[in-house]
Amino acid sequence: MSEKEIIESGRLEAYVLGELSEMESQEIYALAQSNEEIREEIERIELTLEKMAMKTAIMPDQKLKNSIFQQIPEKEKVIPKKAETKIIPLSVYLAAASIALFLITGILAINYRIKWKQTEERLSSLITQNQSIAQDYNRVNQRLDELETGFEIVNNSSFSKVVMPGTEGAPDAIASVYWNENSDEVYLSIQNLKQLSKEQQYQLWAIVDGVPVDAGIFNGDENSPIIKMKSVAGIASAFAVTIEPNGGSDSPSLETMQVYGEVSEET
Amino acid sequence: MSQLKKYSEEQLVSALQSKDRTALEYLYDNYSAALYGRVINIVKTKEFADEVLQDGFLQVWNKIDIYDNERSRLFTWMFNIFRNLAIDKVRSKEFRNEKKTDDIESIVYDVENNDEQDTDGIGVKELLYTLNEEQQFIVKQVYFKGYSHSEVSKEYDIPLGTVKTRLRQSLILLRKILKVE
Repeated sequence: MSEKEIIESGRLEAYVLGELSEMESQEIYALAQSNEEIREEIERIELTLEKMAMKTAIMPDQKLKNSIFQQIPEKEKVIPKKAETKIIPLSVYLAAASIALFLITGILAINYRIKWKQTEERLSSLITQNQSIAQDYNRVNQRLDELETGFEIVNNSSFSKVVMPGTEGAPDAIASVYWNENSDEVYLSIQNLKQLSKEQQYQLWAIVDGVPVDAGIFNGDENSPIIKMKSVAGIASAFAVTIEPNGGSDSPSLETMQVYGEVSEET
Repeated sequence: MSQLKKYSEEQLVSALQSKDRTALEYLYDNYSAALYGRVINIVKTKEFADEVLQDGFLQVWNKIDIYDNERSRLFTWMFNIFRNLAIDKVRSKEFRNEKKTDDIESIVYDVENNDEQDTDGIGVKELLYTLNEEQQFIVKQVYFKGYSHSEVSKEYDIPLGTVKTRLRQSLILLRKILKVE
């Protein structure tokens, strides 16, 4: 901010009225020390406020003055009386000095202890903060790995994509399988599958030579964009997902089939 | 300000710092009405204004050692002490209780409708006469009623920056009336 901008912003008025934070206030103070223009402007603001107060003054009761001055000690002259020069033995000075030293070191020690405590508290809060940042970082990193894997598979031409639309019983459901015929690897990507109860799990099936082959179970609420499933040997002609009791079944229950998709022949 | 100046500000401060009672008396005679005017605008009743005025002068007396003339004029320093005391008083429980039981009768002073007690011949209304309505409002809230910038901003939904600049514009207009060079 230029000097003019600071003046125009009204911050100097706020400074005079004690409206600024300690930090801002220090800033303006430092500025006023080095900048004549700002210092003079502050003075003008102070004078304006002062004259406003004078113009709108209200006289307090006279008895108020008395009651205030009753509370001010009558004579507290600091001007030292010519001290009678008494000779004070050196030992008294030494004793006084040692007591003073004792007190000062005591105060310093307490002071340091408080500061040390404060530093320690701040340190431990910083460590906690650091740990939570590290955790976040790991989580993000893991997520990035998953996304990268997913992206690689989706982009890899040796994987063929089999879209499995919803069946009559679950028209909104949809999921896809990425299948590598050569390595037998199978990945699953869920687009939309309903949430299951705790007693149930989804099971993926590959139809190989007309027979359903188990390709692994999953919960359906996995976070990763793409899930690695069991490898499927042989030539699959179709894939399907059914709902099975926890742990999966040996053979699919057809009535719970959610999605089904055939492998296209063109590849 | 018609009284003869016996002290320069510097002399006054150093006399106060050496706990010279007559310096405090001089301070009282010259500034108590100006400060009392500010205080009563904020606390609104004579009873509380009296209390704040007493506390304020005792605080000035006790704290004069930490006053730094590099930082502000003596009046600005005192002004902020009294203003803060008055605001504390308004917020204190005692004040709220009092207001509940005593209601309107105890309120003897209000910026909006009463400036007859002014000593210097000119009231808040006349002082602010040349300002437009918006400017009058800001000066009354911040300067006379003692609300903080952020309170005014929140309460009346005016951006903080606007509160600051509007107050500045108002004070610049007042400079002319008050003959601040």
